[in-house]
Amino acid sequence: MTTPALLCRQLIKTFDGTRALDGLDLTVDPGTIFGLLGPNGSGKTTTIRTSLGIYKPDGGMVQLLGSADPLAVRRRTGYLPEERGLYARMKLQEQLAFLASIRGLSIAESERRAAAWLDRVGLGARAQSLTRELSKGNQQKVQFAAAVIHDPDLVVLDEPFSGLDPINSRLLKELVIEQRAKGTTVVLSTHRMEEVEALCESICLIHHGRAVLSGRLRDIKARHGRNTIAVEHSGGPGRLTEIRGVQRCDDSGREVRLRLAPDANPQEVMRAVLDRVEVASVRLDEPRIEDIYLETVGSPEARS
Amino acid sequence: MNPGLIFRIARREFLARVRSKAFIVMTVMVPAFLGLYMLSIPLLARSGTRELRLAVLDAGTGLGATVAERLRAIERPHITISETLAIDAANTAGRAPLNAAIRDRSIDAYVLLERADAAPARVRYFAREGGNQALMRELRLAVQSAALARLLAGTGIDSDDVRRAQQLDLGVVAVSDQGEREGGFVVAFASTMALAMLLYVAVLINGQGMATAIVEEKSSRLIEVILGAVTASEFMAGKILGVVGSGLTQLAIWMLVSIVALVQAAPALAIGTSVSGFDLSAVLNARLLFYFGVFFSLGYVLYSVLFAVVAVTCTSTEELGQSMLAAILPMVVALMVAVSVISNPATTMTRVLSLIPFFTPLVMLARVNILMPPLWEVWLGIALLVAASVASGWVAAKIFRYALLMTGKRPTLPELIRVVRA
Repeated sequence: MTTPALLCRQLIKTFDGTRALDGLDLTVDPGTIFGLLGPNGSGKTTTIRTSLGIYKPDGGMVQLLGSADPLAVRRRTGYLPEERGLYARMKLQEQLAFLASIRGLSIAESERRAAAWLDRVGLGARAQSLTRELSKGNQQKVQFAAAVIHDPDLVVLDEPFSGLDPINSRLLKELVIEQRAKGTTVVLSTHRMEEVEALCESICLIHHGRAVLSGRLRDIKARHGRNTIAVEHSGGPGRLTEIRGVQRCDDSGREVRLRLAPDANPQEVMRAVLDRVEVASVRLDEPRIEDIYLETVGSPEARS
Repeated sequence: MNPGLIFRIARREFLARVRSKAFIVMTVMVPAFLGLYMLSIPLLARSGTRELRLAVLDAGTGLGATVAERLRAIERPHITISETLAIDAANTAGRAPLNAAIRDRSIDAYVLLERADAAPARVRYFAREGGNQALMRELRLAVQSAALARLLAGTGIDSDDVRRAQQLDLGVVAVSDQGEREGGFVVAFASTMALAMLLYVAVLINGQGMATAIVEEKSSRLIEVILGAVTASEFMAGKILGVVGSGLTQLAIWMLVSIVALVQAAPALAIGTSVSGFDLSAVLNARLLFYFGVFFSLGYVLYSVLFAVVAVTCTSTEELGQSMLAAILPMVVALMVAVSVISNPATTMTRVLSLIPFFTPLVMLARVNILMPPLWEVWLGIALLVAASVASGWVAAKIFRYALLMTGKRPTLPELIRVVRA
């Protein structure tokens, strides 16, 4: 059995009497892309910071890259925090080389890699520009480069896609996949479920400082079964909610997704749909991660 | 602690500081102001040599003629006596024509001599603008001399002998283990204040720059990335070393420019001991420069730690602005104490203060400059300063570890005390 890239057991972290992490369990397999999900304030960032040794846990244990002391392996990790921060009055090349050099690379190697990474993210021509002269999206690409420039074994990316246009979003996705291909473990904390669907092999859904759902995405979906009917139709979803056996109805405008009750018969529900609205397409689908997310943390009992 | 990483943090901080506008502006401005000051001394001295047209109005003292004669003898400024008038003591309207003469600029001023009960005369100077201190002194001496001449008339005593006796100068010679050194209050005051101000200005500019950078790193969360690579103690040590490096660079530039300016420009500008009382060798002796270097470096470290600690407990630049006083206050107090030391260099209070590390850089420097204390006291001060710098660095590192990642809320004083004790 391989050693997990990150292992948290019964992790506890308290701030001013409030438990941000309340016995969190987490296992990230090496060489995978792992999705860390959860509502705002659920404890994702605290999990990241505690895992990387930025915070000391108040209880439980963390094992990062096989070490019980995360700080001992800090040079083998990379981190892109959610709040974007770079030295505003520093030139890009200089900035990236500095951030590489404190990760243990020699000055010359830092310079070389900084130039190569600026080219890779399409900012080679602006190597001598000050950071503050860059758009937010471009700064974000520089920060991503800073997180992986030293070829870490594990990189944590907190909301890496927020604020990016579709072109840069695709570039970043390619870069993440590239990292995985090199054998780097990627921990991705995000609210963008389509990115989770596209990239992650495993996930952990955190709520109130605990892991409420975790495992391989495929297994989680299989556990939930093919219990969703996706309908493309004209007219509002109002009449569809009345169908017997429909537990929940999510309307994205173009498509309505009907979540079925455990005892519902999908065939009967589909027939009822065809009776009620003009349908362009209707299919029995597996739940999307967004459906599972909403079901797990969006229900009134979960919210409390 | 990894020295390589500390060096890299220090290098970035150093470059950020020396490339900042504040650094460049101040590095150029200080020598420029120094140069202007030195230029202004001979210029001011020359400006006082213009002609002064004066009238003497004697209201019953009988000293008018003698005073006028004495005033004519003054060399700088050259005084022309337009007229010497005698009026009745009770004639208050007698001054009116002279006031009119001042207003139409036919004379610059007039001196009114009136009778007084306990003194030979009551003297008043009437002019469009108040005379300078040197002129007032000359006028006073002229009247004194006239009054003295009248008092001594017929006694056989030469009034000039009496005046010379009155004008005896008091020279001050400091005797210490290193020998004798001549120099008065002016030299000691000027050089001590100049060196103290250099330290103060350099710490203020670079320390404030570093403090702002720390708050920016905190608020932008860049610190999380940095702390993923270095420890809080390495980060702090790098920051302080970087800022000390920039301070020493600034100092080296100032010293170099000052020495070149003094050595090269002083003879050309005719600034010598005779003009301003500024004795070059008294200001720039090797011993003083050595101790200045030592106290500047160590004081810089200690004050920089203070700036760093204040910065790390702030979460925004606005908060930093309000809290900066806590870092600046010890320096301001030390500066004020240094001024009082100049007047009382050997009191017990001064000796005690010079051994308290936060005051040592300025107060001990003032003592060394004015009245060299026993060598053991100086080196005890240095040792205590080193110990305090190490101890404050240790305390600061603990506070850094605790406060560096705090955002939104500032750590309270009891929290910080708990952290330091832990």
